[in-house]
Amino acid sequence: MAQEKLLSGCAAAAQAAKLAEVEVVCSYPIRPYTAIMMELVRMIHNGELDAEFVHGEGEHSQLSVVLGASACGARAYTGSAGVGVTYAGELYSPMAGGRYPIQMAIADRTLDPPGDFGSEHTDAMTFRDQGWLMGWASTPQEVFDNTLINYRVGEDQRVMLPQMVCQDGYFISHIPDKVIVAEPEQVKEFLPPYKAPHPLSLTCPVSHGPQIRPDQGAPMDAQRAAVFLEVPKVIQEAVEDYNRIFGRNYDPFVETYMMDDAEIAFFVQGAHATTCKSAIRNLRNQGVKAGLVRPRWVRPWPTTQLAEALSRVKAVGCVETSTSYGGAMRGGNLIHEVRASLYDLPNRPLVTSFMGGLGGEVILLDDFYYMAKVLTQMVKAKKTDKHVYWIGFEEE
Amino acid sequence: MSTIKVPKDREVPFGAVTPAPVTSQELFITSNWRIVRPVLDREKCALCFQCVMSCPDSCWSFNEEKEEVEWNWRYCKGCQICINECAAEALSAVPELDFPDGVVRLEKPF
Repeated sequence: MAQEKLLSGCAAAAQAAKLAEVEVVCSYPIRPYTAIMMELVRMIHNGELDAEFVHGEGEHSQLSVVLGASACGARAYTGSAGVGVTYAGELYSPMAGGRYPIQMAIADRTLDPPGDFGSEHTDAMTFRDQGWLMGWASTPQEVFDNTLINYRVGEDQRVMLPQMVCQDGYFISHIPDKVIVAEPEQVKEFLPPYKAPHPLSLTCPVSHGPQIRPDQGAPMDAQRAAVFLEVPKVIQEAVEDYNRIFGRNYDPFVETYMMDDAEIAFFVQGAHATTCKSAIRNLRNQGVKAGLVRPRWVRPWPTTQLAEALSRVKAVGCVETSTSYGGAMRGGNLIHEVRASLYDLPNRPLVTSFMGGLGGEVILLDDFYYMAKVLTQMVKAKKTDKHVYWIGFEEE
Repeated sequence: MSTIKVPKDREVPFGAVTPAPVTSQELFITSNWRIVRPVLDREKCALCFQCVMSCPDSCWSFNEEKEEVEWNWRYCKGCQICINECAAEALSAVPELDFPDGVVRLEKPF
């Protein structure tokens, strides 16, 4: 029987990587993701996991190591946080373009300056357009589940793409919660062994990563974009299989909470969704019809599913947990995608955004009540006066 | 949802993976930014292979049948290291525009 354990997000990620029988692991320390590697190295030392463990010289070489491992046909695992994610920057596009389905665990952390340890999604969000699969978990259990689901989707022959499995630093990575750890037989049924289509080998030599000509660039980009059109189908299949084998109840693309009769909706990515749900229950007791929509993927962005989930509300508040300085809405990234997803709806809701959860700050229940007040006023006024509200920095 | 169709003749192999080991392939040519090319005076060539050893892209090789060194235009970037290294002064830098086939060697100019 599957065991229920008390695990932090980092421990949950390591447990799932162990059950996925990762073959090559490459580390470089940076808080708060480091605990994943500490767990994995302990497992290797104790003989629980048979994997090659390489300690990189930095994040750039860390990703280079797993690129090489994946090119040889090994299931490879790495991870980082904050400025570690950005230091590895050069590798993201070639890894996706070269179709190496490695997995990178991210426990996010604010970028410098000046060395803030807190959670903020800007580190990974900065690389959302490099051709990786990407999504945020909202509990340690979901970190565990997403680790396995991402390997299954990424290694599918129709996809073959690297994956960023993200969790909020500290809020998830360091706070233990109940996690059902699956049985190895369940994982074997769900996740077939990784098979590289053209592994580097002495018996069947191939060359990876050659220089291409300018006239090959556009078709290559188009082919990479075409792969992403296939991904939702594969995600749907994988999550349905996962729910069946592991007894879960995930929506493949978006989680909805109390959305059936909701008039205002919070759009929250990651850990803060948990606080948001409590806020919604309290708001409902006061007669405010609020609901939550939470994306399980940033790439591929669940455009149609979001449009469907948000089609009946009157106002949407995107809770931004990343920054997009000087962007179209002058706040975060999510609102750009949300407004674009809703644009073609016949009765599209009003959309605004709230800058919160930045630099590791907790989004309090009171903050959600404030957001609900703003959204309710928007519905009454039937218009959006502002596209962004900075929580705690607005004149009342 | 939209669809994307890349015509067969413009398709790039999966992950741009190519057969190996080969010294040259039709698909991937990396010489189109060359400004000058090394031209060999066979009378002066001493077959010392300094060019073969110094080329960072292995563009010089020895043809055993012809008993002479050969230049691979597909991958030479025109860095002129071979010209500097040639003790017999058998190599000279000649502007690409002096040749009738011109500097751009792609079927489609960009």
